[in-house]
Amino acid sequence: MIVRLALRLAQMLFVILAVVTIAFFVLRIAAGDPARLVNPPGTPEEIITQTRRRLGTDQPLLGQYVTFLGNLVRGDLGTTFRGSLPVRDAVLAALPNTLALAGLAVLAAAGIALLLGALAAWRPNGSLDRTVLGYAALAQATPAFWLGLVLVMFFSLQLRWFPAIDMTGPRSFVLPVVTLAVTLSPILVRTVRQSFIETQGEDFFRAARARGLGEVRLFTVHALKMASLPVITLIGLQLGFLLAGAVVVEAIFNWPGIGKLILDALGSRDFPMIQGGVLVAAIAFVVLNFVVDLLYRLLDPRVRVGAS
Amino acid sequence: MRNRRVRGAVGWLAAIALVLAACGDDDAEPQGEADPDAEAEPSGSVRFLIAENFWADWSPYASTAQSQRRLERQIYDFLVDFPSGDPAQPEPMLATDWRQVDDLTWEFDLREGVQFHDGSPLTAEDVEASIELGSGFSGESAYSLTWIPADVEVVDEVTVRISTEQPFAPMLVELGQIPILSADFIAEPQDRPNGTGPFRLVDDQVEVKAMEANTDYWRDPPRIQELVWEFIGDPSTRMSALLDGSAQAIDRVPPEQLPALEDQEGVELVSATGIESVNLWVRPGRLPLWDENINFRRAVNWSIDRQPLVDSLVLGNSLAATSYLPTNTLFSASQEPAYTFDPEMAAQELEAAGEPGGGPEFELWVAEGFLPRGPEVVQAIVAQMEEVGLRPQVVTSDVAGMIDDIFSDTGTGAMYHLSWSSNGDPNAAAQVYSEQFAWYFGDEELQALIDEGMTTLDPGAREQVYAELQQHIWEQAWHVPLYNSDFTIAHTSDLSGVVVQPDFRTDFYTAELTE
Repeated sequence: MIVRLALRLAQMLFVILAVVTIAFFVLRIAAGDPARLVNPPGTPEEIITQTRRRLGTDQPLLGQYVTFLGNLVRGDLGTTFRGSLPVRDAVLAALPNTLALAGLAVLAAAGIALLLGALAAWRPNGSLDRTVLGYAALAQATPAFWLGLVLVMFFSLQLRWFPAIDMTGPRSFVLPVVTLAVTLSPILVRTVRQSFIETQGEDFFRAARARGLGEVRLFTVHALKMASLPVITLIGLQLGFLLAGAVVVEAIFNWPGIGKLILDALGSRDFPMIQGGVLVAAIAFVVLNFVVDLLYRLLDPRVRVGAS
Repeated sequence: MRNRRVRGAVGWLAAIALVLAACGDDDAEPQGEADPDAEAEPSGSVRFLIAENFWADWSPYASTAQSQRRLERQIYDFLVDFPSGDPAQPEPMLATDWRQVDDLTWEFDLREGVQFHDGSPLTAEDVEASIELGSGFSGESAYSLTWIPADVEVVDEVTVRISTEQPFAPMLVELGQIPILSADFIAEPQDRPNGTGPFRLVDDQVEVKAMEANTDYWRDPPRIQELVWEFIGDPSTRMSALLDGSAQAIDRVPPEQLPALEDQEGVELVSATGIESVNLWVRPGRLPLWDENINFRRAVNWSIDRQPLVDSLVLGNSLAATSYLPTNTLFSASQEPAYTFDPEMAAQELEAAGEPGGGPEFELWVAEGFLPRGPEVVQAIVAQMEEVGLRPQVVTSDVAGMIDDIFSDTGTGAMYHLSWSSNGDPNAAAQVYSEQFAWYFGDEELQALIDEGMTTLDPGAREQVYAELQQHIWEQAWHVPLYNSDFTIAHTSDLSGVVVQPDFRTDFYTAELTE
């Protein structure tokens, strides 16, 4: 067990290192010299050179990478090119905001999926089923940025129910969470529906129904547990999508999270900030995947048996 | 380029300023003085959402990023100021009086009793250190591009003397751009700026700069207690925040949002025609035919209908370009011929260029999320170019990628849809075409005119120099002038007194919130 855990930990560290390394080199190979961006065109080359020296981008690529890794080991993520502020403070301040947004969105999406999936599976190919599948198709075709703007226009600017931007309290979570949850939900809804349908064909389910159990009890007690397993698997698989979606949603709602931090930094090629954001996102991704795996083992005894 | 504006001195009549310089009044009070009847304590909070990233830091004079320059105007003061926006009216600020001793020498009397935010008094040594570093005397300033070497001497505790190697016509305009910092800060820059301005920085985050009223300000204190500048790149988010009441002011309202906001109750718009030349800038050496053949250059100029671009795409207070100096620049004059979309003229010029088939393919770069409706403008231009037989290939990038292509030795672009913002004085507007910049084609006559304009003190003679310069560059058609862009901010109706200038300056000193 300890060996298995150590291997898993090493695997996680490797993924994180790979992600930050790729981010490091892609940023520097991609077009865009930060020193040019903070100086006017035509600035004498000696000033551009001074700026590069100040930013540390005048060093050989490999040297920059070694310095970056050395600092990383010490927990030093450097300072931003914009404003010379500590990156670590900025990303650590932003991380809880993204996790809160993403966590609530996952809960909401799972809730939507279980509810709609069960309703659809109750009478497959019935009118309710077709309506649910219609919702899934519509939600899948709806871009997050468009949905976010529409929600803001209606619920913030027209009805004045929720704030349009910023993280200012519980009410401010509603629109960004709904936006993210709706865009995440279609695949979950379809999977849960399919899982419920398959579960109804299982012996234990038919036996329970034959014993005269009510439909509500059948679905909420017997089928739900089975149907929730693929939801957890899918959420694990969708974490990347979730983080990417959070970037868009955070930009629309001016949400002070990791996604907005990275997006704002990209435009100005603020390498330390982008690397800090990517690092934190990578850590969050592998840790959450690990948690999902643990959850799956807890919920499905067959996995535990197989593993042992 | 827009994000790294050249100086911006507000004021353009440097020549007229020379005359006014001699009659600075000791008793003169600067414009923008708060109403003496309004002795109320600063109150309220204003959140201003800006469209441009905070690119720079507080290193003195190390950057000309527009967002930084605009922000610094809330925190720093200057020797002279142009608060009314009238380029003919330099006003005393930290200098109460000034005089031109001879063609090369100026003296400035300093205001007494001024304190920096840390409580230390303003001294002549502070002014000396600021002007010397800012003007580029030490060779370390990003502001030096429109200056000529200058030396600063402390005459006494309240007088400084500035000497230049040559006569320097835009002296006052350029001094209106160099913030006065403490000598200690310049010697050892700190994380937090230390100015004498109406607001002091209290919270410095990457995208948010929070300031509070400087109640020890040498003028009446500002009327708002808290001023927060925040970068939000997405225009829809900025507009939602304004309409929602989350913000009191937003800038760079894009053209497509203007109609909606004009009809919106509780919102007011303030617009100006920016001192900004939006051109198709051509990089020397990338398209040999352009470098060598004036007829080809003119053919391209005859292939674009500028007015419809302004009327249907850029909107607002933007104006079709009629000169290489923006319309609001001193001595700007409309040039002939007025280039428009004329296939016959374009065909004639292409024939004369020996390229009746339209010439070679060339890359035309445009950045997304940069100039308002940039990609749409460029698509419209490309359609017209193709109609006359030209062969542009559009390359869409982000700003950083485009800047990289311009300056990289391996860059492939020939033309770039960019803007250049100046300060109202023709020197700053013309310098971009000089040998200091990447857009110079080795035109020695043009360089001589630029140099002459900077060093000619007599207003009439200077106007003549710039008349010649505009005519010369228009005839040579080194680049493709398109329009001078619109600058619009929107604010809630309960906010008044925000000063907006064509050089994108946005001052909140006289701003106040009403019930």
